Amino acid sequence: MSMHERLIREANEETLRYLTRRHFLLDCVTGLGAAALGAFLTGCGSSSGKNILDASGNPMAPRAPHFAARAKSVIYLHMAGAPSQLELFDYKPELQKLHNQLCPPSFLEGKKFAFIRGVPKMLGPQAVFQQHGESRAWISDHLPHFATMADEVSFLKAVQTDQFNHGPAQLLMQTGSARLGRPSIGSWVTYGLGSENSNLPGFVVLTSGGKTPDAGKSVWGSGFLPSVYQGVQCRTQGEPVLYLTDPDGMNRDLRKQSIDAINEINKQEYQSFGDPETLSRISQYELAYKMQISVPDVMNINNEPAYIHEMYGTQPGKESFANNCLLARKLVEKGVRFVQLYDWGWDCHGTDEALSIDYGFRNKCREIDRPITALLQDLKQRGLLDETLVVWGGEFGRTPMQENRDGKEMPFMGRDHHVEAFTMWMAGAGIKKGGSWGETDEIGYAAVKGKVAINDIHATILQQLGFDHEKLTYDFQGRPFRLTDVGGKVITPILS
Amino acid sequence: MKLLLSSGSWSMFIGRSHPLLVHLPIGILIIAFVLAMLAQRQKWAHLKSALPLVLLAAALSAVISCITGYLLSLDGGYDEHLLQTHKLLGIGVAVISIVLYILEKTNNRFSRLQVPVALLMILLLSAAGHYGGTLTHGDDYLTQAMPAGLRKLTGMSNTATNVAAYTDIGDAKLYEDLVRPVLTARCYGCHNEQKLKGGLRLESVALIRKGGEHGPVLKNGLPEESELFKRLILPEEDEHRMPPKGKPQVAPQELELLYWWIAQGAPVGKTVKELTKTPRILAVLAGMQPPPALDKNEFVPENMVSKASGNSIAALAAKGVKVLPVAAGSNYLAVNCINAIDFKDADMALLLPLKEQLIWLDISGTHVTDAAIPVIAKFSKLTRLEIKNTVVKGDHLDQLGACTELRYLNLTGTATADAGVLSLRKNKKLQQVYLYQAGVKPATIQQLQQSMPKLRIDTGGYLQQLPSDTIIYKKISV
Repeated sequence: MSMHERLIREANEETLRYLTRRHFLLDCVTGLGAAALGAFLTGCGSSSGKNILDASGNPMAPRAPHFAARAKSVIYLHMAGAPSQLELFDYKPELQKLHNQLCPPSFLEGKKFAFIRGVPKMLGPQAVFQQHGESRAWISDHLPHFATMADEVSFLKAVQTDQFNHGPAQLLMQTGSARLGRPSIGSWVTYGLGSENSNLPGFVVLTSGGKTPDAGKSVWGSGFLPSVYQGVQCRTQGEPVLYLTDPDGMNRDLRKQSIDAINEINKQEYQSFGDPETLSRISQYELAYKMQISVPDVMNINNEPAYIHEMYGTQPGKESFANNCLLARKLVEKGVRFVQLYDWGWDCHGTDEALSIDYGFRNKCREIDRPITALLQDLKQRGLLDETLVVWGGEFGRTPMQENRDGKEMPFMGRDHHVEAFTMWMAGAGIKKGGSWGETDEIGYAAVKGKVAINDIHATILQQLGFDHEKLTYDFQGRPFRLTDVGGKVITPILS
Repeated sequence: MKLLLSSGSWSMFIGRSHPLLVHLPIGILIIAFVLAMLAQRQKWAHLKSALPLVLLAAALSAVISCITGYLLSLDGGYDEHLLQTHKLLGIGVAVISIVLYILEKTNNRFSRLQVPVALLMILLLSAAGHYGGTLTHGDDYLTQAMPAGLRKLTGMSNTATNVAAYTDIGDAKLYEDLVRPVLTARCYGCHNEQKLKGGLRLESVALIRKGGEHGPVLKNGLPEESELFKRLILPEEDEHRMPPKGKPQVAPQELELLYWWIAQGAPVGKTVKELTKTPRILAVLAGMQPPPALDKNEFVPENMVSKASGNSIAALAAKGVKVLPVAAGSNYLAVNCINAIDFKDADMALLLPLKEQLIWLDISGTHVTDAAIPVIAKFSKLTRLEIKNTVVKGDHLDQLGACTELRYLNLTGTATADAGVLSLRKNKKLQQVYLYQAGVKPATIQQLQQSMPKLRIDTGGYLQQLPSDTIIYKKISV
């Protein structure tokens, strides 16, 4: 025995000496307590698999909705950071008259703002408005292309939220709850409908603007739903889906064999334990294998004809909102249920040039104007707009007041976060063409008519997909949960 | 006129405790019956000792119930025939419970009659209880609340009462659809065939016009002078107020409806559209417009169809073709070939067994050719057809005329012949045709549009570029 070994042994024996019977019993108490706690908490786990399994045992098998649907797919364009409704759709000439005047105290009493302190000045609309189309919809000169689509969309001008910070507001908008842990809209949709194309994910997420949303990837998470329903983020630069390609030295046949073997073991695992997460894993392996071929194909925009690139303003190989719009059309054409686009950079407080109403905001508008218009037109000419619901909006609106962060004047024009009224629009799939619902007061501060809650937006999206939002539920923690929680009313005035 | 209510008396006060007390003999007699039956067995024989006391309590409470019941009947307002039956049955129960008690006490040769008498008692008790319930709640109290499944099982007509019979409030019949439901919900409970409070029945306009024991309740065109309306707006404390304090009250918009109906001369069979409306009633009616039916879809036929055979669906599934019901519970089918790109003309025959059910067909991007069109023509219920990005030239498109229900046709990315496109004129219900990149001549499109002005034809090719597309907004530094 070497000196070294003897030293280790001595140390071990010394440790054992300290471990008396009392220590052992003490450890037992906490150990047993933890075990018992685990048993109590089993109610918190995901519920039995009965919620998702059809005869085929495939959680992504396509399913029929409650009633014949208008929409087969949804493209949700989320402008992360929240664009100003007052420079785009909610025309308020009265606000112009109040420009640079101090905000009346009645707008400030009892209110809380994210950054505004003290008494800010009012900020008139920084855009030129005109009415467009037969619907005479007010659209500003920031969106000259989109203005031609006035008769294709329905505006919701009095959407309300109760969260004035980006993260919680985005969560509320995308999951129906400002707290973490709820499934996103896309997850509910794929849980309800499965996926039409068995070679592609049912729920795809594309981001642009150089940043993911403030709320992180939870905005496309599956919450308490089995994780097979979470959104799959695809990238427009490099590999579309990370870790999808075979590593060096492994060919596709070998990959297939190893996936088959893993799935066989997982099937046995499922038979013994019945955990739906095991099924998720099996179908994710299978899907990933198919996606090795199908995703690079659908994510490649190089083969699109030149005039399509001109139409969208796309540049292959770049991460851009335009590319994502074109991809959204391609994905929907291939039967993807829910395509979620996030475009970051709309948080125009006026802190710097890029995040200002007078400069950065106009550039952001230019970046989305042509792609969104092209997306609507492209869907339309292919006969897809009739079965694709397009939703546009931020997570909240902007104040009619000029921001005065810390009571100081800002270097650029900017508006603070505003929860009481903002504008969203929907188009396609049974949505009224050239519709508008809801009104704000004379300066666009508060909703006065046709108020719409986030739950109502969700109810309407599910409605167009053929779901009664009160019946699309999932049992968790001992009760059925739904996307619209205990609220939600379908916004019938914008349905055709 | 004087309501009986106004002159409170001991007899009436005691009489009104009948509904309360009557449940005592019911409960006690049932437990007596159970005890007596159990006591027949050796094992439970000891229960017999409880019987005299239980039966005495039953007999006493039954007699008291009879007395209070009689006092209550003096109150009036009940269907005579029903009341008589209930009264006789109730007295029967009281008598029989006394007999049971005596049989129990006097242990003689009649005591073996106890079981048959007890059985008779249960029968009488049930019958008396049933008629008593009918007197208080009306004879459709239970059946009204029956779930649809049970109604069907018991062979009752399945008339859903909560679904509006009209989609537009203007088409609603004022009395039948709007006023009668109010009377049913708020008034029938006491003014019906069985329970004629104030001698008044309100089940039909004729009965309403007949009035009650204190004369007519309706004066044509004068709601303020009609008891039918007047009493509804009296203060709640007023003894003439209807419905009486504590009963479900008439809602404000229901009051407006009643007022309007009487003001219009209490018409029958007239729709809202046909009558003159005040601004006040217009506001009420606007709130009553039923919400649009959210589950309607013009791309799905309204009539039902039988289920398609599972084997034919399985055969298609084996080819990668997705066959799904258009909605849960519907037998109509949607077929798409998104994962069946090898699908070809020969496979079209696999769809034939589904021809009754198939309404949405998508064979885009497959290997089908013009030979598929004659097969498609057999799907007479088809409402949506997508043949995008195929080599179909549309030579046989004229055969699609057989698909009389066709509303949506997508020929994007095909090489459709002009003649074929023009033959779509036969499809009278066609609403949308997509011909993007289908190489159809503008003149042909124009011709089709002229003959079908309402048809939405989309040939695509939208492209708009503006000088502002390249402007980058920047602060100009001085």
